[in-house]
Amino acid sequence: MALLEVSRLTVRFGGLTAVSQLDFAVDEGALVALIGPNGAGKTTAFNVITGVYPPSEGSVRFAGREIGGVSPHRICASGVARTFQNIRLFRGLTALENVRAALQGAHRNGARDVTRGPGWQRGERAAEDEARKLLDELGLGAFADARADSLPYGEQRRLEIARALATRPRLLLLDEPAAGMNPAEKQSLRALVAQLRRAHGLTIVLIDHDVSFVMNLSERVAVLDHGEKIADGPPEAVRRDPKVIEAYLGAEAEARA
Amino acid sequence: MLALAALHWLAPLVLNPYYATILARIGIAIIAAVSLQLVNGVTGQFSIGHAGFMGLGAYASAAFSVYLGAALLDSLGASGLVRFLYFPLPLVCGGLVAAAAGLVVAVPTLRLRGDYLAIATLGAGEIIRIAILNVDAVGGARGFSLASASHTAVDLRFESLAGVYAVAAVSVAAIARLVYSGGGLAFRAVREDEIAAESLGVPTTRVKVEAFLVSSFFAGVAGALFAHTEGYIHTNSFGFVRSFELVAFVVLGGLGSLSGAIIAAAVLTAAPELLRGLGEWRMVLYSVLLIATMILRPQGLLGQRELLGLWKSHGAARS
Repeated sequence: MALLEVSRLTVRFGGLTAVSQLDFAVDEGALVALIGPNGAGKTTAFNVITGVYPPSEGSVRFAGREIGGVSPHRICASGVARTFQNIRLFRGLTALENVRAALQGAHRNGARDVTRGPGWQRGERAAEDEARKLLDELGLGAFADARADSLPYGEQRRLEIARALATRPRLLLLDEPAAGMNPAEKQSLRALVAQLRRAHGLTIVLIDHDVSFVMNLSERVAVLDHGEKIADGPPEAVRRDPKVIEAYLGAEAEARA
Repeated sequence: MLALAALHWLAPLVLNPYYATILARIGIAIIAAVSLQLVNGVTGQFSIGHAGFMGLGAYASAAFSVYLGAALLDSLGASGLVRFLYFPLPLVCGGLVAAAAGLVVAVPTLRLRGDYLAIATLGAGEIIRIAILNVDAVGGARGFSLASASHTAVDLRFESLAGVYAVAAVSVAAIARLVYSGGGLAFRAVREDEIAAESLGVPTTRVKVEAFLVSSFFAGVAGALFAHTEGYIHTNSFGFVRSFELVAFVVLGGLGSLSGAIIAAAVLTAAPELLRGLGEWRMVLYSVLLIATMILRPQGLLGQRELLGLWKSHGAARS
């Protein structure tokens, strides 16, 4: 059974249909890329899966349960984590605090933080150790105590991934993790994503503009254009698909080809 | 502890009542400012109706003392120990009533953002004040004296400066521990980015309501202390002018900094009194002080930092 199952999903904002009748399933353990030109509805699809918007029509099922219209923090608790296209770190907090805030998530101590009885300090220390381990894993150990907005751009992107991993997700949604990176950085990001997938047993859906970034990374690519899915299959096949070429380069290019 | 004891025994000897009153008001302002900082600076929600909760705490605690406490103290005798054990009761009572009102206000208004939230809290504060103004049992427009008609011998006023600062210390420590712990990161995460916090499992609405609840509790405690040190309260003390004054404390102290709020509350409460010698120029200078701070340090006195780096390190977790 698919871990994530989006069926006949439609999202409308007033008169604009951002996503139309989208069917999209992701098996446990898979790495699927969602590509498409600007404004194709990729991020909107992510926003519905993570609960930012409710679906106008259709359903989103995660691990067999309907999550369409459920509040984002509940969806996160059920095992879906994400990063954002325009980085959304807790800018004024340190890298360590960013990860710790996610680690803590819904789990709050309340009055125990005030009384600080026996065991409280051990709990704090354990959380901090776990956060540091995640930072080290993403190569951010040296930045632990630096403010998040003082980090270099690539490190900010990785910190967002570390923070998402702190929620212990089964499904990780990466929204354009390679945006603004040069080819060398993209290459190392590809290796990182593959390694995290193995190490954490993750199912990953990744958004990008460009099919070449996901070529050797994902086994399946789905292409969105104007809110509709126009192709879905192995990367090589998708790259040769005339409808995909048309979406990216226009009909004229297709005629010339 | 030693400082508090010294304050308790020495203050009446060396301070005239005027200075003692100012010092008590500073202690109360510190509690109110730090509690407002939890909502405005730490959680990033802009509330400007804090004085309403102070007023509610003041009136609830005063009513408690006049209608229940006086009889209680009369029957138990007014020994020092009895009074020492009694005074936490009206404070907790004022805090709980204010917190209950805070919950009622928070649940609908915290769905609002920015300006809308500010206006809604301002309105809520005024509603509380005007509602109290119309309750005859607490004096209505005449104000409310802490004196019982049937137990005239009982002194319900609370004159220990050390007591005020003990309550202030406990309140500040409680809020500081709440904020500077792993769980307290949720408040700051909401301030930094609500959408990201929510997507990482932080129940943002609940976190905001919690902040508001704790904040209004301590505002109520501050109000209760005010009622019991002054001995007479009037709704005019809890209008929007007082609310704005509290906002000035947290903004000038540095939004997010508890120690900044403490310093600003102390300085800005003392300033109008220290400048009294200047006559009518006093408020002009006070305003200039505020404007100068805004121009020279728009992030406030301490920005988001704390005076003691200690608090920032989540207790001993990093040691």
